[in-house]
Amino acid sequence: MEIKTTAVAGTVESSDIQIMLSAGHQGIQIELESDVEKVFGAQIRQTITTTLQQLGLSQVNVKAVDKGALDCVIKARTITAAQRACQTTDTPAWEVL
Amino acid sequence: MAKIVTLDLQNPDVLPVWQRLLQTLGLQNFTPAEVAHLDFTLGLYEDQQLVATASAAGNVIQYVGVNNEDQVSGSRFNTIISAVTNRLFQKQIFHIFVFTKPQYSRSFQHVGFHELTRSPQAAFLETGTPDVHDYLAQIPAFPAAVGATIAGIVMNANPFTWGHRYLIEQALQASDAVYVFVVNTDASLFTTAERQQLVEAGTADLKKVIVVNGGDYMVSYATFPAYFLPSTEATIQYQTTLDAQIFRDIIAPACHIKVRFVGTEPLSKTTGIYNQVLAEILPPQVALKVIDRKKDDQNHYVTATQVRQQIAAGQLDDLAFLVPPSTYQFIQRHAQELHQRIQKGQQIHGN
Repeated sequence: MEIKTTAVAGTVESSDIQIMLSAGHQGIQIELESDVEKVFGAQIRQTITTTLQQLGLSQVNVKAVDKGALDCVIKARTITAAQRACQTTDTPAWEVL
Repeated sequence: MAKIVTLDLQNPDVLPVWQRLLQTLGLQNFTPAEVAHLDFTLGLYEDQQLVATASAAGNVIQYVGVNNEDQVSGSRFNTIISAVTNRLFQKQIFHIFVFTKPQYSRSFQHVGFHELTRSPQAAFLETGTPDVHDYLAQIPAFPAAVGATIAGIVMNANPFTWGHRYLIEQALQASDAVYVFVVNTDASLFTTAERQQLVEAGTADLKKVIVVNGGDYMVSYATFPAYFLPSTEATIQYQTTLDAQIFRDIIAPACHIKVRFVGTEPLSKTTGIYNQVLAEILPPQVALKVIDRKKDDQNHYVTATQVRQQIAAGQLDDLAFLVPPSTYQFIQRHAQELHQRIQKGQQIHGN
């Protein structure tokens, strides 16, 4: 897939994460804002990176604002943001789940 | 049950409820001109009570008010900010600003905003993409050989006149190279693209000049709304303070700008206050040089306002005394179109 536009999924309410994706040039760059960065920062980044890679995206700028989201939520929000950014929301990528 | 609704501030039943919430939270200095300028306003209702609100104008979030009584602190705030940012995302607006009181800056930072600058009266934050780092990265750099003293000028150039050209020439005499930042907000008779194009054409023969779009960071609707809306002196003062600090702390260091040039402003109150504030804020990091305005043969000031008035009156012949050939030709070619914009209500007396 290829990023066609900037896109967002998620909110900044408790237990959620807001993921903003835009086209990048330096691999997958993640800017993460989280109250639990110290403990879970690496894991959150890993979840986002893996999900994007499974979708075939390698050049992405990610801005994530985490409010204590579980891994499944992070994954779901990342997939949704990616499909919006690639304008492929008509053909959901089930296999990534 | 909590519910997000769109508030119609034109509705006489809704407006007082909204105002009452903001007033109980100590927000009351809003003018009808600013309220009319809002694109949309959202409210969070709990048990028929309005407990939180936020609005947006363009890409700027305004009038955020949250009643935190008997509540887990932050939860209503996060809900209303999520709602307003998601609405902006739907409108394909991904770069968002907020002006707020300094004590609320932290709350916004918790939901992913970054503080650009703050004063005792206000803090100014942004979130999303492209952000200030992306903006700075796309500004072309002068080669190191050009010299150490780089100057900066911010201009609306509506349109580019001999006066603007004179200011740039003065800056070039006193420094090695000059950045000209063209105001990005599209609220003038000449569009942003036209203004930028005319500045580029009018300075094409000057080698050590780079013309750059000022983005959202210099005299834009985000940093300095009072430039575009009728406002009180106090409002102009606090907004220009933030604008000047952003230039001093973010733009100037990134572009190695040591000195900023401005023209004296005998006619516009807003620009007059702005120049005063620049003189207070910029030094010592950035020097401020005030250049006396250019006068024409009959000792009149050369101003873009004058040019716009002559376009409105259809007196194009003697414009050549006020504007360079590139601007003159553009006006001649587009006279009819410019005239139509004025007739459609485009203000020509402001800035």
